[in-house]
Parts: sequence; C-alpha cells; structure tokens
Amino acid sequence: MDAFFASVEQRDFPELRGKPVAVGGSGERGVVAAASYEARTFGVRSAMSSRIAKQKCPQLIFTKPRFEVYKQVSSQIRNIFAEYTPLIEPLSLDEAYLDVTENIPGIVSATKLALEIKQKIREQTNLTASAGVSYNKFLAKLASDYRKPDGIFVIKPEEGAAFVAQLPVEKFHGVGRVTALRMHELGIRTGLDLRQQTEAFLRQHFGKAGGHYFRIAQAQDDRPVEPDRIRKSVGSENTFIADLDTLAEMQAGLLPLIDDLWRWCHRTSVYGRTVTVKIKLNDFQIMTRSRSALLPIRNRAMFEQMVFELLEENFPLAKPVRLLGVSLSNLEDSQPYEGKQLALPF
Amino acid sequence: MKFVVSSSVLLKQLSAINGVVSTNPIVPILENFLFRLEGNILTVTASDLQTVMITEIEVEGGDKGAIAVPAKLLLDTLRGLPEQPITFNVDEETFGTEIVSDNGRYKLSGENPIDFPKTPTVNRGQAVDFSSASLGTAIANTIFATSTDDLRPAMTGVFVQIGTENATFVATDGHRLVRYRRTDIQSSADTSMIIQRKALNLLKSCLPSDDVPLKAEFTASNAFFSFNNIRMICRLIDERFPDYENAIPTNNPNTLTINRMEMLNSLKRISIYSNRTTHQVRLKMTLNDLSISAEDLDYSNEANEKLMCEYNGDPMEIGFNAKFLIEILSNLVSKNVTFELSAPNRAGLIIPVEQEENEDILMLVMPVMLNTYA
Repeated sequence: MDAFFASVEQRDFPELRGKPVAVGGSGERGVVAAASYEARTFGVRSAMSSRIAKQKCPQLIFTKPRFEVYKQVSSQIRNIFAEYTPLIEPLSLDEAYLDVTENIPGIVSATKLALEIKQKIREQTNLTASAGVSYNKFLAKLASDYRKPDGIFVIKPEEGAAFVAQLPVEKFHGVGRVTALRMHELGIRTGLDLRQQTEAFLRQHFGKAGGHYFRIAQAQDDRPVEPDRIRKSVGSENTFIADLDTLAEMQAGLLPLIDDLWRWCHRTSVYGRTVTVKIKLNDFQIMTRSRSALLPIRNRAMFEQMVFELLEENFPLAKPVRLLGVSLSNLEDSQPYEGKQLALPF
Repeated sequence: MKFVVSSSVLLKQLSAINGVVSTNPIVPILENFLFRLEGNILTVTASDLQTVMITEIEVEGGDKGAIAVPAKLLLDTLRGLPEQPITFNVDEETFGTEIVSDNGRYKLSGENPIDFPKTPTVNRGQAVDFSSASLGTAIANTIFATSTDDLRPAMTGVFVQIGTENATFVATDGHRLVRYRRTDIQSSADTSMIIQRKALNLLKSCLPSDDVPLKAEFTASNAFFSFNNIRMICRLIDERFPDYENAIPTNNPNTLTINRMEMLNSLKRISIYSNRTTHQVRLKMTLNDLSISAEDLDYSNEANEKLMCEYNGDPMEIGFNAKFLIEILSNLVSKNVTFELSAPNRAGLIIPVEQEENEDILMLVMPVMLNTYA
C-alpha cells in the first residue's frame, strides 16, 4: 500500500487530501509513523522524530494513528490476496509476498494478476497499492518500491542481474543504514560492486548475512514464500513524555509494557522463554539486556521480576532514560504439536 | 590448643560432612572446617550458608579452643596417612596448625574461627522422629524428580508434609511428579516445608547403612536433623509448592499391568531409536498386548517391540519421553507396575503393584503429543 496510514487518513478525512500529513505524535518526543506523499516532498520520512519533521515542513498536519482502522483495511486486502493464492507471507499490515506460480483463478501472467489485485484494492478500499512482479522475493520487493505510488514494475528473469547491478546498496531490502555505511567503507556502493566480492569476503565482514548479500547481489534468492511465518518475538515500548531518572519511575514505566505483553501471551496462549529489556538514554544510546528461563515464562510475577532485575542490573545509568521497552522471544506455542512434552497443570 | 585423634576416625567423620564444603564458596572462610574443642569432644562444622553439617568426635584433649582448618588440605593429608594417632597443635594467636604423625609434621595455615558463620539454632520447632532407613528411602524415591530450574525455586526441592497419620514427600519438575507417602512417620501437629535438593542429597549420602533413630525439628525457616554424632541444619525453600493434588487425575479407566524390568529393558533399547531431543516413544495398548515403538525421522531410525501385559480399557496410543519412564521405572523396586491412563494428553499414573506395608508410592508423568492425536 502506498503511504498506508497516511492514505487511510486522507481517505477518511477529505480535508487532509492534497496536504502534507504525518501520522504519529506531534509532541516534542513524537515520531512519524507514516508520511503522505505531499509530506515526503519536504523530506519527511517515517521513523523521523516529529520535531525534525516539523522543521522540514512547518505546515505539516499531524494526525493520531487509528490502528483499528488500519487493521481492518489490512484484513480487507488480505482477503483479496486470498482469492488468488493461499501462499501469502505478510511483511507488515500493508505488505505481503504472494507466490502466484499456481494461482486459484489460473491466470498465466503474474503481471495481469497483479493488475487485477491492484484494481480490486482500489475498488474495495479506495486506496492505491503498488506491485512488484518478479521471480524471487528479493526482486519482487525491490520492484514494488520502484514505481510507487500506484505503480507496477516487473523484473523479468533475464533482467534481474542487471537491475540489481545498477542499484545503490541502501535500496536493498535487508541492508539498513549501518550495513550500508560499512559497505561504503569497503568501497561497495552498488549491486555491481557487491557482486564483485567473494562470498568469503562478505561473510568475513558481515557474518551470516554476508552469504545472503552475496546471493542477492547475483539476484538469487531461494527463500520460499512462507504463509505461516512464525512470530519470533513480541514487544512493547514507550517513549516517555519526560526523561526518567529514578528506578521507581522506570519500574512504574515498565509496568504497562509488562501488562501489554502479558495480555498478549494470555490471548494467544504463546509464552516466551527470553525476556529483553531495552533502555534508550536521552543521548539516544541504546542498551538491551536479555535473560532466558529454561521453560516459557507462565507466571506474571516471574516475568515482572525478570524485567525488573534486568533493569536494575544496569544501574546506575549514565544518563536519564528516554525510552523503555520489553520484549519476549523464544516463543513457545502452548497449542500441542507433535513431540511436545506436555506440562503438569500448575 | 592441642589434641590427639585417630587419623581414620577423623577422616571418616570429616568425609561424612565434607559434601557441604563447596570448592568455590561465596565467603572464603567456608573452604574450612571449623574445629571447636571442649575437653575431650571435638566439634567440627562445615557450612555453605544454606546447609550446615556438624559432627562430634571423641579425642584426647582437655583444652578449650577453636580454629578454622582448610578442608581440602586436611582431607588430602588424612587420606594419605596410614591409620595412627595424630596430634594437632594449634597456635590460636597465629592460627597456624601443626599435625604430627609417625611419618612427620605438616603445617597448615588456619583461619580465625570468629569469621566462621554462626550456626542457626532451633527455636520452638516441630519435632518429628524418623528412622534413618525410612527417611533415606523417602529421599531416594523422590529426589530424582526435582527440577533444576532455579526460576521455579519451589520445585528445586522436595515438599515434605508431615501430619498426625502419615508423612508425604512430593517432588516434581513440572513434567513428572512423585508422591511418596509413609505411615510410619508422624507428627503431633501438621507441618510442611520444602527442603533443598542439595541438603537432601547430602543427608542421604551420610545416612548410616544400618537403621538408626533420627530426630528432626522444623522451624519456619530451617530443618534440623540429628543422628549418631552428626547434625545437619538446612535452610528451607521459602516458596509455595504447586498444588500437586489437583494435578493427579482421578478417573483413569485404562489400566496396564506389566513386569517392571521387562518394560524397563525394552524402553532402554527402543529409546536408542527415538528422536534425540524429544526422546519420544509410543505406547500402543490393545488387549493384553503392549507395543513400544520409536522413530527418529532425521536419521530414518526406528524400532518396535511387543510385550505381554494385562490391559483393561479401550485400545489407545500415548507418547512419553522415554527418559522419564526409564527414570521412574528404575527408581521403583516392585516386580510389577500398573499404568493408569485416561487420554493421550493427560497424565499417566505409574503405581508399583507390590508395595511395602507402610508405603504408598505414586508416580505421574505427562505425555508427549503424538501426531495421531489432535
């Protein structure tokens, strides 16, 4: 979907149409969750702090996110996808990989199928989407970003390698700011530069991910579209209105996050074994600390205790705290599966 | 301070309590035995702050005094000496300790006895009389089922409930559970506590082979045991034990009675072929017939055996972790055992058919999910 949250707002509130809109908190510490295309022309981007966004675009209109509405639209578009293939791998609320090799209507051309989906999305949601069509996930994702908004782009098998070669590395999905910077330091700026490195060299510098970079530089990607991608972690975090100084304030700040996660665990019957606490100081330095239990944590008091211990172990802190986060990973489904050792009911 | 003692008597008594001494204690003084001499009685104390063990030895002395002696150095010395009277000369100013034997002299640098942690004392505890054999059996029957997960501390010990009619010992790791009851242990008032696994292990290993009376006293925070010339004080686990009674299923229409050793040996063979992480084995029961099978899809290994049994109930299949079954069956002594089962996702009870008159043993193990059951 194009500028998803912002487009939904402009759809539902006509007075926002044609104006620079940012979804997110406008406060001193807010962050832009999504920016309309009008806002993007000013250089406003998602994940940018609202303060900087306002500097770049003083007439920027902030709206509060309405996640319930976004989720509803998300399920609408997933229902459309489901008419074509069961192999849907959601990337986020508004993005998904579809394997249409074998599709339900039996459409031979993936491009034609993509146009049909785009059309249906427009009819049913009044929103525009962009599609990327190619022969693997990596290229499809690149292609989908290439002609936004309301675009479609196709990378044919014979074009894949050349397309990747001309692309700057920071455009690659999976290459973030830090990795891009390290690649630049190594003199790697484009897909072509990347392709000229040996796998051993890339592994040496980027570890396991190096192998992935090596393959995508050749436009190779064998990852299948995985319909039931298992959630690996669940987390909740909060940027506080004012920086926190004392342990008591931070514990109080962590409690609602613990509540959030615990509610999620209860609802889904999925519990985690590993607890991670994230602390962002007011100089934006981030610390994360984790600890694992031997079994999934099913006891709220124990979860809370682990979180507090992880926090306390970082004391004293060098600076006041701007943000705190808690996440659970090593999730274990309490639904029975084969080979699962059942536990006594206490 | 000076005393003479038989090297082998001292070695035997020190070995009995040496298990408490940890190699890397929180406080360095705990690497020592505390010697306290009063007339002809030498009292030796070892502690790890959680458990304290004390033994009393008759010596030729007459003095009064105390010293902390390095445990390892002393034990190694005693182990290497042939049986003979040895003399301890302690300089209580410098804490230097000299041992004189027929073979020669050994000088150890001791430590100030004042630094050794104080031993908790009994304060209006609930007294219970045991026999060493019955306590030893109770420990042996339960301790293997305790958990090692420090995040659920209650389950790292054995729950002991002593009432006016019997005593119940319960251990669980959350997947299996043992409930061991004896009618020959009673108390004038109901009392319950969780005793640490380490303390029970130490107690078990120093209980004498012959049956001797054993006195116990329990306070809110400590358990005190004494027998022969040994005393043990251990800190209790201050947690709430899980509500285990409700975890024991009551309505189990399917019963399987089988020779314990035959089943145990079969499981040991079959488990070699089971998945290496789940150790899953499948029990399939039909009329008087038990089939035990396992497969490891990763290696295409599989095995299957058929055993004679007495089965009453609907044909059923249930999966278990073979290690749990093997451990349970190895810890029982009866000739035959009965499995009481209800459904493939509910706990299975394992009960020895022949039980001692004053014993009641019940073991419980949760199944492993099979693919055929959803």
